[in-house]
Amino acid sequence: MDERQLAQRAQAGDFEAFAELISAHKDRIYRLALRLSGSREDAEDIVQDAFLKAIDKIDQFRLESSFGTWLYAIALNQARALLAKRKQDDLRPIEDYLPGHQAVDIESGRSEADSPGLFEWKDPEKLFEEEELRQIINGLVAELPYKYREAFLLRYDEELSVKEIADVINESEAATKSRILRARLALREKLSEIFEERYDREMS
Amino acid sequence: MTEKCPDYVNELNDFLDGTLDAATCAEIQKHIGHCDNCRIMVDTLRQTVTLCRGGKSEPLPAALQARLDGLLKARWEQKFGRSRSQ
Repeated sequence: MDERQLAQRAQAGDFEAFAELISAHKDRIYRLALRLSGSREDAEDIVQDAFLKAIDKIDQFRLESSFGTWLYAIALNQARALLAKRKQDDLRPIEDYLPGHQAVDIESGRSEADSPGLFEWKDPEKLFEEEELRQIINGLVAELPYKYREAFLLRYDEELSVKEIADVINESEAATKSRILRARLALREKLSEIFEERYDREMS
Repeated sequence: MTEKCPDYVNELNDFLDGTLDAATCAEIQKHIGHCDNCRIMVDTLRQTVTLCRGGKSEPLPAALQARLDGLLKARWEQKFGRSRSQ
């Protein structure tokens, strides 16, 4: 039985059909919830609330659309409802994350940095054990204010296009792009600090 | 006199993700060729995404699955009634 037929049966009250639909998407939804929340406990709450909400709204599901996408959107809403209200400092404006403009003396042609040079990453994979690096990264992603974390993960972890993300989070494409970039800049900056510190320690 | 780095803020992500038009892309590429800070910025931003991608994927935990089985069934019966959920 295909998804459309299952959804039709579910809408008519067939629990087994609903359970089969959920089963096909549960691991992907759990993974999304885990990445968005950074916590197993929160991820379980999000999944549970999303599936219960799907029952409540099953009549509203349009048979011509994809059940997976519909369920995904419900899970994202649940994640936002749980996580977005947690207080986190906003990120800085994009320009603040960019390197200090490098001044070039036009007469002499010499280039002169007006801020300290950026730290060049030297094989971070070699500085850390794989699991340690993974934990650092997950921790940094989890620290991002929710709206940035959501946009970043949907773009690079779930590999949705900017337009798809804009649709699913109900924002303009410009605002979505800005969130993705700010998240990326903030993560880069924090990773750079951590790598530089570790590199200095290894060298001393 | 000084000349500042070009303002490519709005194009940065498209540049990194390979979705920028060829002309602007070449312009940024050229600048990166002689500006160390911008080159490092672009390179480390690229690595940021590579590193953040692909966390291990975990299946839905069995304990949660067991809890869900009961909860979903109960909610279903509340909505559709016991007989129709059989």
